[in-house]
Formats: sequence, structure tokens, C-alpha cells
Amino acid sequence: MTRPAAIAALDAGEAVRVRLWPAAFGRATPVLFLLPAVLLTGILAVGLVMALDSSLRPLDPMTYRQAAAWSLGNYEQLAGRPAYLWILGRSLLAAVLVTALCLVLALPYAYCMVRTASPALRKLLLVGLFLPFFIGQVVRAYGWLLVLGQEGLLNEALAGLGLARVSVLYTFPAVVMGLAQYMLPFAVLLLAPAVVAIDEDVEAASAGLGASWTRTFRHIVIPMARPGLIGAGIVVFTITLTDYAMPQILGGGTNDFIANAIYDAFFRLSNAGVGSALSVLLVLLGSTLVALLMAVAGAGTMALAAGEDR
Amino acid sequence: MTGHGKPVDRSRISRRGAIAAGAGVLGAAALGKAGGLVLPRPAFAQEPEKPAELIVRAWGGVWVESLDAAVSRTFTEKTGIAVRHDLTEDNEIQPKIWSAVDQGRVPPLHVFWDTTTNATKSAFREVCLELDTESVPNLEGLLPAAKPTGFESWPIVNTYAYVYVLAYRDAAFPDGPPDSWSVMLDPKFQGRVALYNDGIGFEPVAVVMGGGSMADIPDNMQPAWDFYEKLRQQRPLLGEDPDFTAWFQRGEIDVACTIISNARAARQAGIEVSWTVPKEGAKVDTDGMWIPQGLPENEAYWAKQYINHALEPDVLADWCARLGLPPLREGLPGPDDLKGDPAYPVTEADYARLLRIPTPVLVQHQPEWFARFKDIMQS
Amino acid sequence: MSRWPRSQAILLWGVVVFDLVFLALPTALVLVASFTAGDVIAFPPDGWSLRWYQALLERPAFVDAFLRSLWVATVCAVVSIPAGTLAALALVRWRIRFRGALQVYLLLPFTVPLIASGIAMMLLFGQLRLLGSLWPVGVGAAVVNLPFMIWAVSASANGLDPDLEDAAASLGAPPLHRFLTVTLPAVMPGVITGALIMFILALNEFIVSLLLTDARTVTLPVLIYSSIRSVLTPDLAAVSVVYVVVAVVAILALDRLVGLDVFLRSRRN
Repeated sequence: MTRPAAIAALDAGEAVRVRLWPAAFGRATPVLFLLPAVLLTGILAVGLVMALDSSLRPLDPMTYRQAAAWSLGNYEQLAGRPAYLWILGRSLLAAVLVTALCLVLALPYAYCMVRTASPALRKLLLVGLFLPFFIGQVVRAYGWLLVLGQEGLLNEALAGLGLARVSVLYTFPAVVMGLAQYMLPFAVLLLAPAVVAIDEDVEAASAGLGASWTRTFRHIVIPMARPGLIGAGIVVFTITLTDYAMPQILGGGTNDFIANAIYDAFFRLSNAGVGSALSVLLVLLGSTLVALLMAVAGAGTMALAAGEDR
Repeated sequence: MTGHGKPVDRSRISRRGAIAAGAGVLGAAALGKAGGLVLPRPAFAQEPEKPAELIVRAWGGVWVESLDAAVSRTFTEKTGIAVRHDLTEDNEIQPKIWSAVDQGRVPPLHVFWDTTTNATKSAFREVCLELDTESVPNLEGLLPAAKPTGFESWPIVNTYAYVYVLAYRDAAFPDGPPDSWSVMLDPKFQGRVALYNDGIGFEPVAVVMGGGSMADIPDNMQPAWDFYEKLRQQRPLLGEDPDFTAWFQRGEIDVACTIISNARAARQAGIEVSWTVPKEGAKVDTDGMWIPQGLPENEAYWAKQYINHALEPDVLADWCARLGLPPLREGLPGPDDLKGDPAYPVTEADYARLLRIPTPVLVQHQPEWFARFKDIMQS
Repeated sequence: MSRWPRSQAILLWGVVVFDLVFLALPTALVLVASFTAGDVIAFPPDGWSLRWYQALLERPAFVDAFLRSLWVATVCAVVSIPAGTLAALALVRWRIRFRGALQVYLLLPFTVPLIASGIAMMLLFGQLRLLGSLWPVGVGAAVVNLPFMIWAVSASANGLDPDLEDAAASLGAPPLHRFLTVTLPAVMPGVITGALIMFILALNEFIVSLLLTDARTVTLPVLIYSSIRSVLTPDLAAVSVVYVVVAVVAILALDRLVGLDVFLRSRRN
């Protein structure tokens, strides 16, 4: 398009705009801008209300249909099954372990990636990060099956060294390892901007005053990276807590998380009410934890528009 | 129980009737006669339009391979209709079909190959298309056990029986086959024992091993829960059909409670795996096929043709021989390697050695047992 | 890194090297396994060949599922690009009433666990008779990942100088002109980054698809998942390599169009 043609097209567009959205509507323009996103998210909100409704209708075991009248039967049923507490405990433990592991592994990565003087090295680190980030969970879990299986790389290597084979696959540690690997790129990406924001001169000053690097790290870098650490921690924690694929694929059936219990209630026990009740509880648990963490640590890290910091 | 609509009430009545009818038909029926001539196929002036493909739900591994080789490919040769196999687990797709039928959508598959227990649930929920000898002439000549318990009609058709055997790696038992399920508790097999991930097929064994008897089912399942508790200490692997074959192939397990077909598939793949029916017995059950309601008429017609084809004597014989399972049709030859195998029941005496739970009892209690099994294994 | 003390360099770079191996190992193994000439997956492989890629082309189920995933990813991108871009601009440019509540609302897809989002949409789409079609799967992927799009755009909108728009306005440029010639170009890097991320996430989307698809609409990640549950054959490794290739292409595109280090910018700048 030549320049005048482009301007003509713009003018034509402007004319249509004036017709459809006259200047008098100006004050409502932000609403117009927000509407699509609000409607899209509304799909989720309406669905959640339906899940809440379904959670209040117990299953009639004679007909495999949900009751017409509301009651708390599904929640009572959940309370009566200690296994759900075990599953919840396991999910929480895994979330804590994975979060700790990811933060410990991510901070040096983010730090080196930001601070390295070599652009080539920085690019290598970025690619090393994005490659797994862009490969989905199922494919990566499949990779772990090849690493950890009875005849996988790990055991072949051990056998090659004359050592005994180990059964890691289908255990809790395998699930934690798979999840840590899955979450690590998220953690680094969320941490990196916080590391960028740390003024190198402050570190230099600390070193200049005779502080060892470990002291500088502990008293300057980590506190200043705190918003990033908390943001990354929240994301890693909540996604891990509610993950389905890793425990399903690497857990061998005995390492279920809450998400697996929800899926099972819907699709193995054909009990949508109990599954919905579990989902509702999981939403409450997740939101409460996020709200608590944000209240303690400040909302800045999770905000959608950084503009509000101003 | 609040005011449900008519269909619901009817299914409740039929279920009550079924439970009253009670006792297992399977063994006693195995020898019964249900002969009769195969009716001539009704002559259609014009066959309904052929769909591009039929979607048939199947289990993975040897299950889908045998169905494909014996039934689906020959069906495609005969009719030109391609068959796609959906390997979603039966329990998982069942609620999707129920909601599709409830909501008036086209169900996501044409033929559901399913356990009789699960299929019976769908029949009670009235989502199955009725089969009859007019549209599926090969329903004639099946053994009485092929007919679902508690129904006047044919919402489903059972196709073969199978035994949940004790499968074991030969190398792990140099002194000969284990004679009791108690080997599952042997400390040397810790982490190397496998069961189905909902405990299916193991319940009667667990009751017996826990000190109970078949008479305790379903009212007193405590012995089974006690036994599961002990078994949990062994850190068993829990999986689905293809997992067992794969685990034996990859050397992950030594002992499993699984359907004979999975163990036989591992052996046919060159793995030294055998199976046995221990002295306590082993559970016997059946599988069946059904068609969901709500398909376009022509697709429903061809889905019935598929089931009819699967029940064709030579097709059924081939299919079941590949699976290593006794078909529910009279006078079909079994595979040579299973002659006289207690896990390949043919006579009433064979069935008497096995443990069976009537379908109505399973329909009513199995979900609760699955949940309990999960509870224990997840703790 | 000569200016770092030796102990710092060793420790930090030691962790980085470990991370790199940890991140790359499963993918590398999938790559290696896919080129085996043998019938089973083994390390080292029994010779090299492309036979499993050949086998893949002969399995229409995988090809169909891949095409469906591409379609889902396209729907997701088409839906989320305008929705996310406009919302991000609105949040950055205008002082909006109930901003806090709106933020919490728009963050629902992140605070609601994926399994619960999937269940919620399964119930809603089922009620609307939409289950069984493919496009709702794309919409579902757009819903659960929308905050990524808003984030990406708002990050570059913060770099937007409000004076520029004001200058354009004072020169007499009407609103649509200003939007298309000043605002949009300024946030383009964010739009591109966000769109690419949405596309890739939808292509990989698993749990929501597991709940929203059936045999007629199964997408590639779900098909891979149900196939891993049976025997691990090298053709699965070959199909997984599709994702490695897509990831490499996406990284090259991202680097070329906006530069990978866009992610290293501090939010405050």
C-alpha cells in the first residue's frame, strides 16, 4: 500500500468508527476495550458457578443421576474419606518441595543469565530455557519415562558402571523431579526481571566495602530479588499443587494429586457431584493461598498491568 | 430419592428385578443350550448410507490388536467402512456418553466394547440402543450368558468370558508356579507387584485372602480392605491392561493380577511369563458390546452391522483365540495352547473352580469398592 | 566472569550447568530415541534410521490430531490477541474504576486450577451443546491462558510514552488513527510475544483438552498421552519431536521478531 492509499484507508476506517462508536461514547471506550477479555473470562466464571451447583447435588447410586434437590451430601462424603486428606497432604508436600527446588535452581540461572557479559552465552541460556518452556508437559513426561524407566538411560548407565538398577519411576520422587523440571523455566522467567532490577552498583558497593560474595548475595541480591522470588514461588506452588499430568504419568497410580482425584471422581466413579465438590474446594484452597501470599508479600508481582505500581 | 422422571423409575425397577434374580448366570449357563437357526438377514431395498468411518472403543495392547485383526479389518473388507479405535478407558468415556445422550448430542463413538458391569450401568441408565435378532441376526446361537442379566431385551451383548489370573515372571519362580495369591505379600516382590488401578478383578480374591468367603460379598467386605492394607505395604504398581504387558516386557514387575490375555501377549512377545489359577481361585467375568443412542440412523445401522460381524462364528472364534478367551458361542474351537488351562473355562466344572460375582451385585457395589481400593492405596 | 570470586563462579555456574542438563535431558533422549533403527527404545539405540518418522506418516490418527491441534492453536490465538491486547491497553492507559476487582477477575484463569477450569468449561459447553466440536477447545485454551497475553502486552505498553499519543492528538489525528499508527505499533513487540506464547501453549494444551475432546476431536497432546499409557514405541518419540521442532521454530521467530532478551527487561523500566 502506498502512503496516500494507507491514509485513505485509515480515513475510511475512521468514518466507520465515527458511525459505530461516536465521540459521545468516549467515556465508555475503556469498557469496550475490556469487554472481550471480561466475556472470555466470564466463560470460566459461569462454568465455576455450574460446578458449584453440581457439587450440591449428590449422586443417586440406583440411577447414576444427580439429585434434583440441593444438599451437602457430596461434601459430607469427602469429609468421610481420609484418603482425600492424604492426597491433599501429598499435593501440598510436592508443591513445597518443587517450589523450594525451583527457586534454588532458578536464582543462579536467572542471575548468571542477566549478569553475564557475553551475549552469546546469554542467548544460549535463553534458548536452554525457552526450548523446554515451549514443549508441553506430556512430551516432557514422556522424556522422563525414557530417563527413569527400568531400561531407561539411568539404569543403563548404572548397569554400565556395574551398579545395581534402581526403581525410581512410578515413585513420589519421580513425580517431584518431573514437576521441578516442568516448572523451572517458569521460575527463571518470573525471576529474571527482578534480577534485572537489582542495581549492579549496589552489589559493587557491597563488595567494595569488603563483603564476601556470599554476604552480598544473602544481604543484597536475595532481598532485592524478593518480589521476583515471591511471584515465581506463587506460580510454581499453585501450578504444582494442582497438576494432573506428571503424577498421572510418572506416579504409577499410587501418587495421585488432587487433580487426579477430581478426574477420577468424574470419570472413574462417574460421580460428577463429588468431583465438582473437590474442584470447588481446590479453587478455594488455591485462591486462599494466593491471596494470603499476596497479602503478605504485596500484589505487585502478580499484577496484570505493571502500570499500577506508579 | 426425589421425584424422577419415568425412565429413571423404570431402571430402578429393572435393577431391583435384576438383584432379585441374583445368582450368577455365567457358569451354570455356560453349558445351556440357546441354539436355533440363524435368521436370514432382512432384505433391505437399499442399504442405508455408509459413514466414512465407525469409531469403536477398545482397550490398548493385545486387546485392540486382536479386535483390529479379527473384527475391524474384516469388517472394512466386507463393507468398505473404515474403523477407528478409541483407546479411552471405558470408565472415562462412559460419563461423556451419558452426558451426550442426556444433552441430545451425537455420542462420541459408535460401538462401545466394555466390561459387562459398566455396560449394564449404561443399560440401566437407558443410553443403549436396543439390539434384536432382526437387525443383529448373530444374536442367535449365543450362550445364555451372552444375554445381559436383568433385561428382557438386548441393550448389550456379552461376547466372551475371561479370568483375572495370577501372572508371574518365570525367572522369579524357579521352584515352579506359585500356588497361592499370598505370594503377592512376599517381601522380595516389594514394588514388583501389579494390580489394576481400581482393583478390578481382585475383589473376591482379596475377600478370601483376608479371611472371608464368597458369602461375605457384598455385605461384609472388611476382609478385602484388611488384605488391601497389607498389600499396600508392598507398594504395588497400579495400571491398565497394556501396562501389565509393558511392565512384564520392561522387567518392572514379577507378579500381577491381570486378565490372562495381557500375560499371554507378553509371553507371545518372547518374555518368559506364565500364569496360574491359585488354590483360592480367580475371578471370572465377561465383556460385552453396545451402541449408544443418539447416532444418526444410518450410522446406528452400520454400528449394528459391526456387532453382528463381530458375533459371526468364525470372526468371534478368531477374535477370542487371539485374546485367549472362551467365546460365548457354542461349539467354537479354542486356541491349542490353552487346552485344559484352568484359566480358559469351558465346562461347568471349570467355572466352579473360579470366583464369580453376579453382575447386579457388581453394578451396585463396584464403584464403592473402587473408591475404597483407591482410598487404601493412596494413603 | 573473571571479576567474580572463583568460589562464586564455580557455585553459580555449576548450578547453571546442572539446570541446563536437567532441562535438556528428557528432550534430548526423546530426540535420540526417535532415530533408532530398532523396534524398541534402548540406549544407546540399535542403529540409526528414519523409519519411525516414516511409520508416523502412515498413522493418520497422529497426523489428524496434529492438524486439529494446529486448528485449536489458531482459534486460541485469533480469540486471545484482540481480547488480551485491548484489555492490556485499557488497564495501562485509563484509570478504571474497580481496577483492583477487575484485576482479580482477569487473573481468575491463573488462580483457578487448570483441572477446575477444564471441568467448569466441560459443564458449561456441555450444557450449551458445544462439546464434540473443535473450536470450543481453542476458546478454552484462550480462556485459561489469557493472562499471558495481557501480561505480554501490558509489559510493552508500559514503555509507551503517553506524550506520543497526546502529540498525535494535538496534531489533529482522530482516535482510530492514533490507535493504529501510534499505540498499536508501540505495543507490537508485546502483541507478537503474547500471540506466539498463546499459540504454543494451545498447541501443547493438555488437561483442558483431555476434558473437552473425544475420539472425534482428540488433539495431539491427548493422543500422545493416551498412547503412552500403552506400550512405549519409538513412533511416540518421533511424534514428540514434532513439538521440539515447533519449539525451535518459535524460538527463532521470537528472537528474530522481538529478541529473546525482551524477557529480561525489568518491569519497572
